[in-house]
Amino acid sequence: MPSEPRVPTEPTLEDLSAYLDHELNDDATARVAEHVAGCADCRTRLDALRETAFAIRALPMETPTRTFTIPAKPRVSSNWAPVAGWIGGVAAAMLIIVVGVTHLPLHPAGMATSNSPVSGGLGQGAAAPYAAGAPYHQVAPLGQSAQNDSTLRAFSSNSKTVAGAQGSSSSLTISTDGASYSAAGVITIHVTTKGLSAAEASSVRIFLMRESGQGGYLVRLMPPSTAPTFPFDYQAAYSIHEMQLPAPVAGNYTLQVTIDTSDRSGLVAWLPLTITP
Amino acid sequence: MDDRDLVGRARRGDPEAFTQLMMQYQVPLYNMALRMVGGPDDAADIAQEAFTRAWQKIGSLRDAPFKSWLFQIAANLCYDHFRRGRRYGEMPDEETNKVIGLGIATPDPQERAEASERNRLVRESIEALEPDMRLAIILRDVNGMAYDEIAGVLRVPLGTVKSRIARARAQVQEHLQQYPDFFPSTREDAHAE
Repeated sequence: MPSEPRVPTEPTLEDLSAYLDHELNDDATARVAEHVAGCADCRTRLDALRETAFAIRALPMETPTRTFTIPAKPRVSSNWAPVAGWIGGVAAAMLIIVVGVTHLPLHPAGMATSNSPVSGGLGQGAAAPYAAGAPYHQVAPLGQSAQNDSTLRAFSSNSKTVAGAQGSSSSLTISTDGASYSAAGVITIHVTTKGLSAAEASSVRIFLMRESGQGGYLVRLMPPSTAPTFPFDYQAAYSIHEMQLPAPVAGNYTLQVTIDTSDRSGLVAWLPLTITP
Repeated sequence: MDDRDLVGRARRGDPEAFTQLMMQYQVPLYNMALRMVGGPDDAADIAQEAFTRAWQKIGSLRDAPFKSWLFQIAANLCYDHFRRGRRYGEMPDEETNKVIGLGIATPDPQERAEASERNRLVRESIEALEPDMRLAIILRDVNGMAYDEIAGVLRVPLGTVKSRIARARAQVQEHLQQYPDFFPSTREDAHAE
């Protein structure tokens, strides 16, 4: 405490309570300690206060009755101005990501599991395994053979490029092989970066998010363990079915790619996607 | 990764960073709300709303610590809860709930029953506090916050924090000492030499 008032001969209730909490300054602490050592009444008051504090602190820490979620509401910072016309220039360096999938229900009540353990984090689905310590469950990326068809598709139909903070030469482009997919389909994503270090590129995080009037869901797309981190060179292809999206699966989604940059300005790009029945 | 990094990423719209912040604070925030409003469902509603508002407004967070800011949002929601005329909620039987950690291991059924009754009486004593004092003592003795952190949440001077905590403890002590079978050592005469 910055400036404790002078402790009178007999400490006040406030002084004794703060003394218990080690919240008096050194001088006040010494004065209270000295007084209490020679005053049985104040020692008794202090002991009773201590026991009271212990009784409150002994209350158990309860597990939340449900999981907590956030609405899927991407927000654009002025630091990430979209760069129109970047697509062509970056196309040569376009990298393709193969991703695994995790998902996180964003709806607080409807999808929350009443018996989910706190330590497990938020929004745990039923079937897919979890990465160690991750708040999401994950789905293995499609095998290479399953991606062959999708790799031949065009990726320019649905694209977005964002540039780094002012003065930075970094940029991020995401593209998908379509803007609308059937619930039984496969989404393939390309991610292109420019001007990023290996460490920056390896921070990539990809999400598929959905928001509705009833809440939303968040699906994380994880790179495969064999994917190179630099140069940034990935292909993303994953089954919508394997995402285990809650019904009704059909709806409007947002694909988000986030990369941490060393200047902390970050790169975030979004694309709209639609899933049909 | 510390709060500042996560907050920075969350401010840029990264939901994973905010999810990590939620994971870090969901239990203390929920328990603060629980001890403030009493009912688990109301507490979960408040914690959820606090996280939602924090996520939506995190762009406005500048130099203030995220933790104090988040708890401030939840504290205001607790006050709103009572302003809307909601009653202090009932806590269901603790044995039916998952509990992260009990202060005392109580394997024996009788000891469990006694611990449950002690907890009920403590909750009752906290409920009886006026909300400003209740919040101060919860932030201190349930959440373990330092006085300056509490002052940041409550937006009051340190002296006010010190006073509210002391008066709250005195009132809780007065309540508990009515039950010497459960709280013999809260009686001042129990310590008299």
